[in-house]
Amino acid sequence: MSYTNVYHYVGGMTDWVESGAPVERVEALLQAAQATRHIQPVSARRVSWANWLDILANWSLKQLVGFWLGIIIVFGFVYWAAGVGMGWGLQAGNTTVKPDFVGLGTAIYFSFVTALSIGYGDVIPLGPLRILAVAEGIAGLLIFGCVISKLVSRRQEELVEEIHRTTFEDRLDRVRTNLHLVLSDLGTIDQINREHSALPSHVLKRLESSERVFTGELKTIHDLLYRTRLLPEEDALESLLANLTLCLAALIDLLNSQTQRSVGLNADLKTISNLANEICGECMPRSYAPALKQWMDQIQELAKKLA
Amino acid sequence: MKQTAPYMKTSGHKHTISREEILSRLEDPAFALVNVMPKETFEAGHIPHSINLPLSEVETKARQIFPVLSREISVYCMGPT
Repeated sequence: MSYTNVYHYVGGMTDWVESGAPVERVEALLQAAQATRHIQPVSARRVSWANWLDILANWSLKQLVGFWLGIIIVFGFVYWAAGVGMGWGLQAGNTTVKPDFVGLGTAIYFSFVTALSIGYGDVIPLGPLRILAVAEGIAGLLIFGCVISKLVSRRQEELVEEIHRTTFEDRLDRVRTNLHLVLSDLGTIDQINREHSALPSHVLKRLESSERVFTGELKTIHDLLYRTRLLPEEDALESLLANLTLCLAALIDLLNSQTQRSVGLNADLKTISNLANEICGECMPRSYAPALKQWMDQIQELAKKLA
Repeated sequence: MKQTAPYMKTSGHKHTISREEILSRLEDPAFALVNVMPKETFEAGHIPHSINLPLSEVETKARQIFPVLSREISVYCMGPT
């Protein structure tokens, strides 16, 4: 008695890592949700306009607002310095803005008015400064747009997460309800079985159909345990496993007192025993609470009986 | 006599598997990938979807994890040595 289909991957981890294939880490799994947000492979790509916008969009709200304010202040200083050093600065009314503190204030005020694209027109740029003012207008609008979209999307992200969670919970609820239905159906069939010596053909069909539902839900639970992307709450998982165990036990009881089996029924039984066989406390990719492990081991025990 | 671990007791010749084949079958639930390194090494990095079964526990746990003897299993450790 030994395993017949064992393969050896000779290269092992060393070869795997060298080839650049994906590697999974346990901490990484735990922070999967966070990790997906942090992976931003921008460094390798050529930085184009769209990418610049991507980078901006990935900044946090605080960073964006800080950057926006920083740009405005820097531009204000540039307007003021241009007036001090080169003589062509800003003009308020009919007089040029003087290179003093009041002038600095006016320059920063002009910078804000430009960046917000208000453009009162009480202070106007002169000469080459006009190009700078237009550039500031464009940059200010783009960044301000990012700030606004960030505010809007923050709520949206919350909503998407909420939707994901509710869908997942709905799915769990459906599995639980279906398992309950299968259990009550099996109970009824068992009753009929006791009253008659052999099951009438329509009841046999009913047994087949509820078994098919059971197979489907067993697959879902198997998937839930082995694919570690979504993690149900422990209570929910425990109730699912408990229901699954009850159904499996009821099914085995019924089959023991019943000799007729159709081809479809047998095929489903094989799937059930194979899947349930792989549910055990120690063989999951993640470790679970002892109570959950007990249920899993019980499921495996029952699967062995079924086989 | 030194006893060989159960996973080594394959009937017939010893099969090997290539990296490409593992990559192509990563998502296949019928294909089990077993990492036989200690738990700490496994946690530090492993091939996605693999199950950790340290060599020291193979004897005791292999049958429980894979009760079906015809199950397709691929084992790997750190490297060729």
